[in-house]
Amino acid sequence: MAVRAAVEALLRERKLDRTLTSTLPERLGEDAVSPLDSAALDRGLAGGLPRGQVSEVVGPASSGRTSVAWAALAAATRRGESVALIDTFDRFDPPTAHACGMDLSKLLWVRGQAVSKTSVAIDPAWLPGVRAVNGPGTFIERVIDRAIKSLNLVVSSGVCTLVVIDLIDLPATALRRLPASTWFRVERAIEGSDTAVLILAAQPVARSSGGRSLVMGADQRVTWKGDHDRTRRVSGVRSRATVNAARWSHGQTVDTETTLVNAV
Amino acid sequence: MFAALYAPSLPVAALVDVARAFTPRFEQLGPIILLDASGLSRLFGSAQELGEHLRDALSKLSPGDSLPRVAIASTQTAATLLALGSPGLTVVMPGKEAIALAPLSISVLDHFEKLSDSAPQAPQAPQAPEHGGWHHPRSTHQASRGKRRAPENRVLEILTKWGIRSLGALTELSGPAIHERLGERGALWQSLARGVDSRPMVPWVDEIPFEAALELEWPIEGLEPLSFVLARLLEPLAERLERADRGAAVLYTSLRLTSRTVFTRTLQLPAPMRDPKTLRTLILLDLESHPPDAPIDIVRVYIEPTPAKVLQWTLLERAQPAVEQVSTLIARLSALMGEGHVGSPVLVDTWKPGAFEMSDFRSQIADQSVHRRSAIDHQSEICHLRSALRRFRFPVPARVVVNEGRPVRVQIDRQGFSSGAILEAAGPWRTSGNWWETPGPRMKSEQKTEAWDRDEWDVAMTDGTVYRLVVEREAGQWFLEGVID
Repeated sequence: MAVRAAVEALLRERKLDRTLTSTLPERLGEDAVSPLDSAALDRGLAGGLPRGQVSEVVGPASSGRTSVAWAALAAATRRGESVALIDTFDRFDPPTAHACGMDLSKLLWVRGQAVSKTSVAIDPAWLPGVRAVNGPGTFIERVIDRAIKSLNLVVSSGVCTLVVIDLIDLPATALRRLPASTWFRVERAIEGSDTAVLILAAQPVARSSGGRSLVMGADQRVTWKGDHDRTRRVSGVRSRATVNAARWSHGQTVDTETTLVNAV
Repeated sequence: MFAALYAPSLPVAALVDVARAFTPRFEQLGPIILLDASGLSRLFGSAQELGEHLRDALSKLSPGDSLPRVAIASTQTAATLLALGSPGLTVVMPGKEAIALAPLSISVLDHFEKLSDSAPQAPQAPQAPEHGGWHHPRSTHQASRGKRRAPENRVLEILTKWGIRSLGALTELSGPAIHERLGERGALWQSLARGVDSRPMVPWVDEIPFEAALELEWPIEGLEPLSFVLARLLEPLAERLERADRGAAVLYTSLRLTSRTVFTRTLQLPAPMRDPKTLRTLILLDLESHPPDAPIDIVRVYIEPTPAKVLQWTLLERAQPAVEQVSTLIARLSALMGEGHVGSPVLVDTWKPGAFEMSDFRSQIADQSVHRRSAIDHQSEICHLRSALRRFRFPVPARVVVNEGRPVRVQIDRQGFSSGAILEAAGPWRTSGNWWETPGPRMKSEQKTEAWDRDEWDVAMTDGTVYRLVVEREAGQWFLEGVID
């Protein structure tokens, strides 16, 4: 304990005490978080996504990870805030997002390359002058590089209060190749600001010391409506999410249920 | 005190020059130039002396010709009507306007009305550069007055039938009776006949084009040296914009290249701005995406001005980013990701699945009154969300085994997608649209049809993944359209 106290004293002396767990309150104030307008999830997140921190939502396909990110974006736009989505592979569907309650006029949508994981097809609308790519690895790296650069531009501008970067369809190998300094740079850019960054990925990527990790469970269950084959349809997906944070000894468990809405 | 100049034999530009020699505050009403003569007595003496000075100045321009008309009165209406109706110099003392106007013919009101309806034109309208892509500057506040078509002169016809031949006769009629019979226009004519102003004077403001050019001694290549040239051009322009309380609405950059061609770029700015650094950054980012194909000889920048935007900020809400900040961010992102890849989505009025358009992203000032929170069930232990659909912009081909009309197995060759038996499937939901746009024999090949005719299925795989599959009915081809997530 004496050693810890001495280290903390030294950090405070050099004004590097922001990373100390003892300097931050256990519960964040209402203005210090970006709530998702979902009581159960906000309780699990201790109010919402902390501003000035990098959080992440991870999980397998159809576990509700994208729904959580969209809920955060929709809640922020309802409060009148400008939000940004760095859509690495152009997977965002505006009609469905609108049906989910998102105010699209307050969304800055940065569309990446519309391409599937192993395809090397280039969108004709892509920026002219792009260097020819020889293999999928190089091409993927280029797409990631642009997404990360976009993220840095958006967070450093301070224009949006919630920035979501979608890395779900990124191959795990490409994700691992990203240097750790990538996320430190983002953390540094938003430190002390009103901006919350949310990483959307299939597996854990990064989280700042004050951020939250929302891990969606792999045991999701599809719920159905209707008895007859012709009238039966998908109602939604039930899943269980675990919220982790650096200062929590145990993760908070939240049951989630998504409902399929008609986008038309 | 107002002075009106009217000389049918002289061009309007000559009248403007005379007016400019006396006062900077003048207005053009068709062929008449109206001067604000307030305060000129210290320079030119009494109203009579001022009128003589004006008449002499005009006479020098048209010796031997018909006498120019100069009228001075305390209202602009009286001065203008007298200039239209009385030859030579007319000076009216304050309060005597109605008496001075009384003998004038009723037809001068018709003439006056036509002048008032016509929007004033610039005496020396700035000419846009001749190079391709350059346009005439957008009209400023002078053109904000809408042009109205002159109404048919029904009032004049009626008054003539009544035997009203002079303005004095019109003023003697009962005001309510005129209003009852001729409406608002009749009442307005009567007040004009008394010399009462119906609108304030709008002085002409010289609009010098916001343009700057620099011919380089040596051609420059690359954006870095161009940055310094742009800074030198934009800083004085920004100062002029600030003095004129204007902002840049459109930014034209014209680069004359060593290949003797003119390379022009046009930037439509989302909001008026005049920060030279921001304008320079926007031009450079645009040129980064669309670089010229030869070294640059001459750099020319032209700014289309617009009245600066006035914003009311509030202390009670979160501060919004500056327009310059947002514009720079969008320009940087567009340079990085490509045009059309940055903005806000807008829904379109169609049943086509996933249809949208891109629009410019504008950071708006939040209106607290319209903010709403969704109904939150604080007691609920379950988090209720709405399902998101991750849509593949290019649908992924899939091989689907169908049994009794229902998909039972799906095989996707690309990595990262689950294949195998389908646990449960819901559908089909058949949609079609724009079939009337199916290309006919006469339709050109470049006219792309947007017709669709397909069945949608939501299928749950054994690993819990929910896919949306579509089958194109005409081709019978299955595609993976998205993942419900």
